[in-house]
Amino acid sequence: MSISTSPAPPRTVTQATGNGPPVRHDPPIIVFENVSKTYGNGAPAVQDVSFTVRPRDFVFVVGASGAGKSTIIRLLIREETASKGHVIVEGQDLARLRHRHLPRLRRKMGIVFQDFKLLPNLTVAQNVAFAIQVTDPGRSHLKEKVGEALYIVGLEDKLNNFPTELSGGEQQRVAIARALIHRPRIFLADEPTGNLDPDAGWGIVQLLLQINHRGATVVMATHNREVVDLSRRRVLAMEGGQLIRDEQEGQYLKEGEAIL
Amino acid sequence: MNPIPALRFVVRVALQNIVRNRGIAFASLLTVTLTLLGAGAAVAVVSALDGVLHQEETQASVLKVFMADHVSYASILNLQYNLSSEPSVLKASFENKDQAAKQAASGLGLGNALKILQQTGGGNPLPASINLHLRNIGAVSAINNQVSTSPLLYPGPHPTDYNKDVIPRLERYIFAAQLGGAIMVAVVGAVALVIITISVRTAAFVRRQEIEIMKLVGATDWFVRWPFLIEGVIVGVLSALLASAVLVGIGLLFGSGGNLALGIGLRFAGLVVLGLIAGGAVLGSFGSFVGIRRSLAT
Repeated sequence: MSISTSPAPPRTVTQATGNGPPVRHDPPIIVFENVSKTYGNGAPAVQDVSFTVRPRDFVFVVGASGAGKSTIIRLLIREETASKGHVIVEGQDLARLRHRHLPRLRRKMGIVFQDFKLLPNLTVAQNVAFAIQVTDPGRSHLKEKVGEALYIVGLEDKLNNFPTELSGGEQQRVAIARALIHRPRIFLADEPTGNLDPDAGWGIVQLLLQINHRGATVVMATHNREVVDLSRRRVLAMEGGQLIRDEQEGQYLKEGEAIL
Repeated sequence: MNPIPALRFVVRVALQNIVRNRGIAFASLLTVTLTLLGAGAAVAVVSALDGVLHQEETQASVLKVFMADHVSYASILNLQYNLSSEPSVLKASFENKDQAAKQAASGLGLGNALKILQQTGGGNPLPASINLHLRNIGAVSAINNQVSTSPLLYPGPHPTDYNKDVIPRLERYIFAAQLGGAIMVAVVGAVALVIITISVRTAAFVRRQEIEIMKLVGATDWFVRWPFLIEGVIVGVLSALLASAVLVGIGLLFGSGGNLALGIGLRFAGLVVLGLIAGGAVLGSFGSFVGIRRSLAT
């Protein structure tokens, strides 16, 4: 187990690796530094969690229900603030972020959830455009941007459908298109495959991998064992609010670990 | 953010909200109309009552200073000049004995008695007077005390005359009418505010998913708030227009001689309508502001 406890390095460094070409190490885009979160009932949701995520990383946060995965996501979008420690996103300590600057942070992030959060009375195109209309209503080429986002998720032919006319997987793709419209540097997904059948779920993970390939940092909380094991990406394993494992190209369970 | 498309968007969303939640919007429109109707009616009644009382007050604010028969006209003019320069005196007019007799004859029905008295050599027993019209009913007794010591005054137990009983009674009525009107308008306003707040809170609850998404994708609190504020203003202004139409309609139905019912002038009615519209807009926006606050906090 290797858990990084060091805070973000101040600037980009280049590190030589043997005889090969130098590997570029950008400063972390996300830093969790001894973060604890306790809710009103006194139960700690996360306890002394530390890790860093570098730009363009793809990270799975895994664990059973109540392990603290969703709290990690909520802390990252500052829906919650840490009771202890520091959550730093793009060099900004979220505890010090003023409430009026929160929208600016959220616009840098794409966020999707298990329940899609689509507006049922709007069409697919309107749902995607909504993210721009409520943040920058005067932005030009809205139609082109919506079309481009829907093309990336493979729904360019469903512009005028309503969410109820789509499958679960398609609805999640619309949510992803909406999250992509601001071209976020960080993409957060909280159990995006939770309501989907295995095939649709795998399709969503492939889409997130593609988004990561285009340059976005992706953090995905999930308890979907198959997609984690198939993807072979970095895994942060949570248990009882604590980070118990941080593994590059990890698996849902460590060898010999029992299913919780 | 470009303000024109932003405004266009929030107005469109506000109108969509009203159409989408038309049941709640209609209920709140109806209740706010009724409350504004109450407020408008209260203002009209208080104003009419105030007008009647002020007319009474004007009449009661007259102090008659009776002059002794032997006093020269120059002395009377001198006293009239001195009294008219008092700040509380609006007008000081001289009424000679003949005018006093004529006034008594027409006002008190004493024409025959005076004629008989003059024919039998009794002459005109009524004194000349300086009639003081005071700016404020409260100043009557002070001026009376000041003037009643003058040696030019009519000798006898009553050298001056004013309606002592009416003045404090009128003052009490005017105060009660103004206080009652203010309390009624305040109560009705508070009721309207609560109704709009509940209505917007309900609308915000219905739209909670939309608000949640707006916040997640990075909309500012003000951007979330604006459609609700505009919705509140629309409901408030529409309610005010409806209430005004009903009030003016009733006023025209029972009015006469270029005035509305209760003798209310068209100019005042226009001011009441403008007041209701402004009040409706303020009530609507403030109620919405309070109503949406909780949704933004969670």
